[in-house]
Amino acid sequence: MNTFLSFILKRLGVTLLVLFAATYFMYVLTAYSGDPLEDLRTSTARNKEEQIARRVEQLNLDVNPFLRYFIWLSGVLKLFIGQFDLGKNLNGQDVTGLVGAAISSTLQLVTTATFIAITVGITVGILTALRQYSRFDYSVTLIAFVFFSLPVFWVAILLKQYLAIGFNDFLQNPTVEWPALVAIGIVSGLFWAGIIQGNRRKLIIVFATAFIGSAALVYTLVAINWFNQPGIGIIGGAVIGSGLALLVTAVSVGLENKRARNLALVQVAIGLVIWVPFNLVSLFVSPILLVLIFIVMTLIGWAIGFFFGGDDKMAVARTTAFAAFAMTAVIALDRFMQAWKPYSESSFINGRPFATVGSQTPNLVASFWVQGVDSFTHLLLPTLALLLIGFAGYTRYARASMLEIMNQDFIRTARAKGLNERTVVMRHAFRNSLIPMTTLVAFDFAGIVGGAVITETVFGWSGMGSLFVESLKRVDLNPVMGFFLITSLVALVFNLIADIVYSLLDPRIRVS
Amino acid sequence: MKFKRTSMVVAAVAAVTTALSGCATGASDVVAGSTISVAWNQAFYSANSATSNGNATANNNILYLANSGFNYYDAEPKLIKNEQFGTYEKVSDSPLTIKYTVKPGVTWSDETPVDAADMMLAWAANSCNFNNVEPAYDEVTGEITNQDELDAGVFFDSVSCGGDLSLITKTPTIGDDGRSLTLVYDKPVVDWELNFGIGVSAHVTVQQAFKDENLSAADAKKKLLDAIAANDSAVLAPIATAWSTGYDFMDMPEDKSLVVSNGAYVITDLVKDQYVTLTARKGYTWGPSPKIEKITVRIIADPLAAVTALANGEVDIISPQATADIVTALEASDVTSKGITFASTPDSTYEHIDLTFNNKGPFDPATYGGDEAKALAVRQAFLKTIPRQDIVDKLIKPINANANVVNSQTTLPGAAGYDEIAAGNGSSEYAAVDIAGAKALLAKAGVSKVDVKWLYGCSNTRRANTFALIQESAKKAGFNVINKCDENWGSLLGSGTYDAVEFAWQMTSLGVSGSISTFQTGNGNNLNGYSNAKVDAAYESIQTEMDPQKQIALKLAAEKEIWADAYGVTIFQFPGVTAWNTNKVDGVVPAPLAPMFFWNFWEWTAKGNAVQG
Repeated sequence: MNTFLSFILKRLGVTLLVLFAATYFMYVLTAYSGDPLEDLRTSTARNKEEQIARRVEQLNLDVNPFLRYFIWLSGVLKLFIGQFDLGKNLNGQDVTGLVGAAISSTLQLVTTATFIAITVGITVGILTALRQYSRFDYSVTLIAFVFFSLPVFWVAILLKQYLAIGFNDFLQNPTVEWPALVAIGIVSGLFWAGIIQGNRRKLIIVFATAFIGSAALVYTLVAINWFNQPGIGIIGGAVIGSGLALLVTAVSVGLENKRARNLALVQVAIGLVIWVPFNLVSLFVSPILLVLIFIVMTLIGWAIGFFFGGDDKMAVARTTAFAAFAMTAVIALDRFMQAWKPYSESSFINGRPFATVGSQTPNLVASFWVQGVDSFTHLLLPTLALLLIGFAGYTRYARASMLEIMNQDFIRTARAKGLNERTVVMRHAFRNSLIPMTTLVAFDFAGIVGGAVITETVFGWSGMGSLFVESLKRVDLNPVMGFFLITSLVALVFNLIADIVYSLLDPRIRVS
Repeated sequence: MKFKRTSMVVAAVAAVTTALSGCATGASDVVAGSTISVAWNQAFYSANSATSNGNATANNNILYLANSGFNYYDAEPKLIKNEQFGTYEKVSDSPLTIKYTVKPGVTWSDETPVDAADMMLAWAANSCNFNNVEPAYDEVTGEITNQDELDAGVFFDSVSCGGDLSLITKTPTIGDDGRSLTLVYDKPVVDWELNFGIGVSAHVTVQQAFKDENLSAADAKKKLLDAIAANDSAVLAPIATAWSTGYDFMDMPEDKSLVVSNGAYVITDLVKDQYVTLTARKGYTWGPSPKIEKITVRIIADPLAAVTALANGEVDIISPQATADIVTALEASDVTSKGITFASTPDSTYEHIDLTFNNKGPFDPATYGGDEAKALAVRQAFLKTIPRQDIVDKLIKPINANANVVNSQTTLPGAAGYDEIAAGNGSSEYAAVDIAGAKALLAKAGVSKVDVKWLYGCSNTRRANTFALIQESAKKAGFNVINKCDENWGSLLGSGTYDAVEFAWQMTSLGVSGSISTFQTGNGNNLNGYSNAKVDAAYESIQTEMDPQKQIALKLAAEKEIWADAYGVTIFQFPGVTAWNTNKVDGVVPAPLAPMFFWNFWEWTAKGNAVQG
């Protein structure tokens, strides 16, 4: 363990050196990138000289940037006496406060997208690895490369144009034309035909089913004006909940475990029982209370699995806990959907719910559920933009990693022992394939704090990215450095964490 | 100039409405529940825009909605007095004495009357005459080294320090039951009309400075007036601090007294980097009544994002930074079909080209052994090659189809006197490119192959394009224009490292004194060593000339010399774009000077969302 500690200390030392060098370069380069007095120089105010003199004095602009860096650094180093100071911007505002606000705004924007991208990306990546060189694999590869190569600003503008403005227009008077239905059917048919394996006959059946099913579904939803008053309803809840319960069982212990399957379905029944009472008291639910409800329901699910699970009660409890969680999510989703109509019809929204800028509707004061919908309508577009591009990369990495693992000797051994395929994949292959992914995920979390410059700009989101860009445009040195310091610090720390976690997870990797 | 005519009609209508609403005191036209959402590109961060930090358009616009003033600029642009709020009159020319009187019944939103104490604070702060300490910074650490002194001393951090108001050194006198203040300038100041207004309230500032004392509004005012009369630094110091920094906030402050205002609206909600909401004030009668109950100003920095937000109905008025892309986006059929219209209007910032007179370059007489005539001929020849109309056609018309070449060095198009000055100042000499004329002048001067070092900001595409057009045109007459672009062009101004420069002056008012410092010998903005005794004399007399018509005559006299000396040329005003949703708002009229399209907010009417659920 001594070597490990020295490894960490060594890494920390290098990290600080890198940080110092990077901030120094950044400081000098930014300082020489333009003129922070430009706006004052072209002013025709009578006391222009005084204004320039004041700014020069306030920001020490008379000091050469090579030395001025150390003034800035001294403020940063005051961290150790508890007076962390990143200086002031051109407007005389404290940079520490600006960066703090920007980080929280950025986290709000990027966390969801990154989380979904990781989950979906890894899932799809592993599925493609298991069906290597199948039609599904090729389809996903194609889609991944298309998304991967899309410029984010372009995707963002398309999303705004069609998903926000276009869909809002559609919601004014929802009707769907035959050509549109046919198009939806074809897209859906191709999608499912791409995913599901089989011979030509099965392919045609899948395509036809998907075609008719989707077109009919869309037609019905439009006919009942579902998009303006969405909901799941108790029957829909029963169907979706059961589907999720079976899916969870299949992945967790396999559907042949009848006890687990039935206990998972019991969670759906419990959910249906509390459905109506939950809706009655839902107006009093706060965010914290909702989290509590999720925890309690999951615990109840776990307990039921544990006490009635029989021989492998731990595995069953895991399954029922997941099923209970999923069912609670269905209930909550339905409740959010019920808030849609009052939200959309309010005078704040005027029937155009999907937003293109900002993170909230100004002045909206409403229940937790309506506020939730408001956050959803504002987060949807930027999240999608980030997601579409982020998920493609994860798919490729997860696929490669999984393929490598699946060809290892221990997988063959596991199969030879007679383990079923689900156990081989989920227990032996999947877990090991995640090891290389930790590095990637650690890097991406560091990237989160850096913000998504373009996405933030396009969607009018004032996070780290826009703080950086706007300040850079004005040669406003201190906010640029505040941004740079925090993001590089986070990047380096996560880099370090990735290294440590990696060596802990994989015993083969030891530091020399 | 269709725009100009409309704006005149609007101004006339505004005048009539003002007069009418003056008769019907107490009547309010605010439609309950009406709302409007406006986009601006920067967030509000200070309720005192007179401080050096708070002085930004983002704050000024909001405060224009919240506070009344003695005057404002309309769309023409022309200075309009708001005599329902208060009046001002010139009592004497020598010494220049101005009396400001607030109308009885004008109150802050906490019902405290607006009176002389508020004006006294405005004078005390913005004249900076009470300041007896400046912050000193450690050379190495950047720390303020005299914090104790600073706390004890008076330091009003006003953006106007060193400006005209500093010339009022005598403490003004209060009259008319404490509603009027008489300011006496030490020497005549031509733009006195633009100098003075009430910013933050005296009572809240004093209350903030002495939070422990729980002063009543009247006591707070008295404390201020006493301290000013006695020049009591111990009292004024905390007041100065409260005035300078106490009004800086980016989220709605806990202490609602910080948003006390004396105009049509009150700030009722503020979320950092998101929006600020203003609500129409009950009992506001000292100005035209607004029609909309709530105005929300949302922050959208990206111009294209503002256009989509407008198309999606999230905002109702936008004024994004104007580019050809933005105009194309606004002209798109799926945008116009939503009832969105836009007006391209010129801004108050104008682009110009200056030649350097004192750098031993091609335009400096010293190069030709002091031969003034020779240098003049070279300057004239060069200016004749500048394709001004072509630059406007190619670079500005795609954004503002009505754009014209600017023909005055001192006066904004549309402002009083512009037509007269533009017609008579000799700018017509350079109306069209005259290569033959330029060649003839060069030949006469006996100069050939002239190198011209040209400075501009490299990353400014428009200036790079202008440079390319000029380079090509000047080449035909034998000028070799050398690209000397620099990102730090601003700091190079006046350094003599260039022979010609292209940049823009920002006009923030129609004040005549703005150009003094540009053209007078040795003055602050005189960056090219220009010196002409007749111009100096004209500006000397303009500083004391109070008659607008004579001011115009003097400006014309100065400009005749300036253009005859081939000082440089003006090219265009920066194009501006204001777009709004005609299905949701009526009455929007863009204006070139701050507060831009906000200037006639009382004429805005909200459509389609009169009742709020």
